[in-house]
Amino acid sequence: MAKNKIDQAKKPALFDRIFKPEVITLPSGNSVVRPRSRMWLISIVLLIVVAISIKVTGFNLAIIFTRGNQLTFILSKIFQPNFGYFNKVIGPLLDTVKMSVLGTIVGCLLGLVFAIFASSNINRNKPTLVIIRFILAILRSVPTLVIASIAALVFGLGTFAGTIAIILFTLGIVAKMLYESIETIDMKPFEAMISMGCNQFRAFWAACMPQILPTYLSHSLYCFEINVRAASILGWVGAGGLGILINERIGWRDYNGLGMVLLALFVLVLCIDQLSDYLRGKLS
Amino acid sequence: MIEFKDVSKTYPNGTKGLKHVNLKIEQGEFVAIIGLSGAGKSTLIRTINRMIDITGGQLIVDDTDVMTLKGKSLRRFRRKIGMIFQSFNLITRATVIKNVLTSYVPDMPWYKVLFGVYSKEQKMKALEALDKVGILDKAYTRCDELSGGQQQRVALARTLCATPTIILADEPVASLDPIMADEVMNDFSRVNKEMNISILLNIHHVDLALKYADRVIGVRAGEIVYDGPVKDVTKEVLNEVYNGAEVPEMGKEKKNG
Amino acid sequence: MTESKIEKQMTPLEMYESRPQNLWKRILIFAILVVAVVWSAGGVQFNGIAAKGSEVAGGIVYGLTHPDTALLFDMSTEGVFYLTAQTIAIAILGTIFGAILAVPVSFLASKNITNKVVAFIFRALILLIRTIPSLVWALVWIRVTGPNAFCGVVTQSICSIGMISKMYITAIEDLDTGVLDALDASGCTTFQKIRIGVLPQLSANFISTTIYRFDINLKDATTLGIVGAGGIGAALIQAINSRRWAMVGSFLLVLIILVLIIEYFSTKIRTKLAGSVKN
Repeated sequence: MAKNKIDQAKKPALFDRIFKPEVITLPSGNSVVRPRSRMWLISIVLLIVVAISIKVTGFNLAIIFTRGNQLTFILSKIFQPNFGYFNKVIGPLLDTVKMSVLGTIVGCLLGLVFAIFASSNINRNKPTLVIIRFILAILRSVPTLVIASIAALVFGLGTFAGTIAIILFTLGIVAKMLYESIETIDMKPFEAMISMGCNQFRAFWAACMPQILPTYLSHSLYCFEINVRAASILGWVGAGGLGILINERIGWRDYNGLGMVLLALFVLVLCIDQLSDYLRGKLS
Repeated sequence: MIEFKDVSKTYPNGTKGLKHVNLKIEQGEFVAIIGLSGAGKSTLIRTINRMIDITGGQLIVDDTDVMTLKGKSLRRFRRKIGMIFQSFNLITRATVIKNVLTSYVPDMPWYKVLFGVYSKEQKMKALEALDKVGILDKAYTRCDELSGGQQQRVALARTLCATPTIILADEPVASLDPIMADEVMNDFSRVNKEMNISILLNIHHVDLALKYADRVIGVRAGEIVYDGPVKDVTKEVLNEVYNGAEVPEMGKEKKNG
Repeated sequence: MTESKIEKQMTPLEMYESRPQNLWKRILIFAILVVAVVWSAGGVQFNGIAAKGSEVAGGIVYGLTHPDTALLFDMSTEGVFYLTAQTIAIAILGTIFGAILAVPVSFLASKNITNKVVAFIFRALILLIRTIPSLVWALVWIRVTGPNAFCGVVTQSICSIGMISKMYITAIEDLDTGVLDALDASGCTTFQKIRIGVLPQLSANFISTTIYRFDINLKDATTLGIVGAGGIGAALIQAINSRRWAMVGSFLLVLIILVLIIEYFSTKIRTKLAGSVKN
């Protein structure tokens, strides 16, 4: 009990040192300290930021109303999909699925490896730790489409570039989520195995994997859901899948055709979501 | 003054919550209601502020027939009756004083409620209520940082702000350990004596009831089986109320836990 | 002695033979995974590294290490700073408008607030929004607003509604109704109950969700720029396609640093919002 009290006597927060709290005294003689509200400061900052943003983006609400009919025109066509187009859709659709599946599986496996090297409680070597985390940070912050267009230049147009892009993106996300989990697990079984003479990898596999397995699988499923959606776009930069079709149809102003493509995408995403919900249920 | 005239409560599925209850409670009394779980203690208390509607008889509170109220008049009626819950029912993420100030909300105009603007007078009164229950120093801390006993005190301060004539408490100390429970019961006692507010408490632990209340009402299967001063409560009475089962006491839990 | 008892204790051999047969399940799962990989790999053609492929890879590395500093400090509307500011602005406005619009939508889609039919309709609407990729939304909206940053704002607002609503709904369906009981007992109207009892419980969660979405929108805004919805995306892709590596490098560096900074602060704020949970 006493220890907690000592911990609570910390230095007051920066805000409270600038704007001193008010002391209110009641008629009965007792008094209480009231910290100043942070609300007004936050509101002012927010207002300024929004004002600047509006200026910088050329925000103009009126346009929506004047040219809104374009939107309804396009949407109405999208909702009358051209079913005859289905034959052209099925190929790229399957391509999208294949890119996502392969990309997710490989990305998750690689992510695990990277995560191990990025965890401070397993990898004691500071320099490699920092380098690996830096690489992961880069992979996470560059948008998938940019990675895909670079990949398309390196490996040529087609599904391989898209798969590479998905692998790299998945790797970045899974590795980060994993090493955050790994750093919170109980290391004692790991130490026990090392003391019994195992090398790092076996000890990790036997002692740490069971602890992180549920989170790992859950994150992998989550990535798969995202990747299916992402894979459908990559074709825009020539990396295969439905994206190419989308690019084409919009270019030709063929919104009925676009409707068919989107419908196929919708059904696909629905199925994947159902599958992933089912698998999640099985996991827990 | 609270008057039950032949009050009954039958639920839609046929269960009888209350059967022919006749009671008269004067202003300023401290009444403890005891009985087994499911005997009807909660039902009895909640009919008074119409959280539960009665299906038979008449219930008159401070010269008003409870069943004639609706909408605005019902809300105004409830202002004068405070209620304390077993699970405190505070807004845990908000500060203590914000919670106490919510007792003014029913009487405020909608624009003030929308922006959460309270007058200086309301804030001072809230602080005084907190002072009265002894947690003034915690006024600007978040509720989820307080102990159970402190949270119940905040709930008590919240009810006091509305200057009620009656306070209903539904198992107020059931979630608290023996020491905190004692402190909270003490608070109820002080409020009762100093401000002449009627207190009707549902309580599971008989020893606490006997220690702090003036009058005890025993409920069994929806009927009143005992109604009298604390000093007349004997072992036979308790047997009647608890149907021969073991009488729950805070003291016993202290020994076991 | 043991045989005469009705329930006898099992011998170790019997225990072994009656163990749960997980092995077949594991083999099945493994087989499914292998089939999936092989089938997918079949559809993904590896054409080898393209003609100037390794040059590209080298170029990127060069660009990252020798960024175009003149471009970096160019303050005009074509410069990195302005475009980055524009990208951030798109993300800010898109997130804020999306978050505000998501409030009524998510309340209407929650099973504990409205009836089943209304909830179903709105959930379907949200699903529809979430399925159409943001890129497609942008391309459609360009017809209305023209290819500029405003298009990006509108697109992001709509897409944000999708994800934010989903998270709001989870928070709404987890509400603690005890406080509503207390407010009822002190005589509050429905409006007062929602404003005082419901909103404070949700506000921390809402703000946390909004910040999380802002993080994502920032990366998304760059992607949208590629199709012409303003910001840094278009310039970046043009630089890549014209193989101007130094320019690519400066754009990439700014982007990476920006995303990392925002990520750092948003994680910090969100852990603080999760609040001090004492025992």
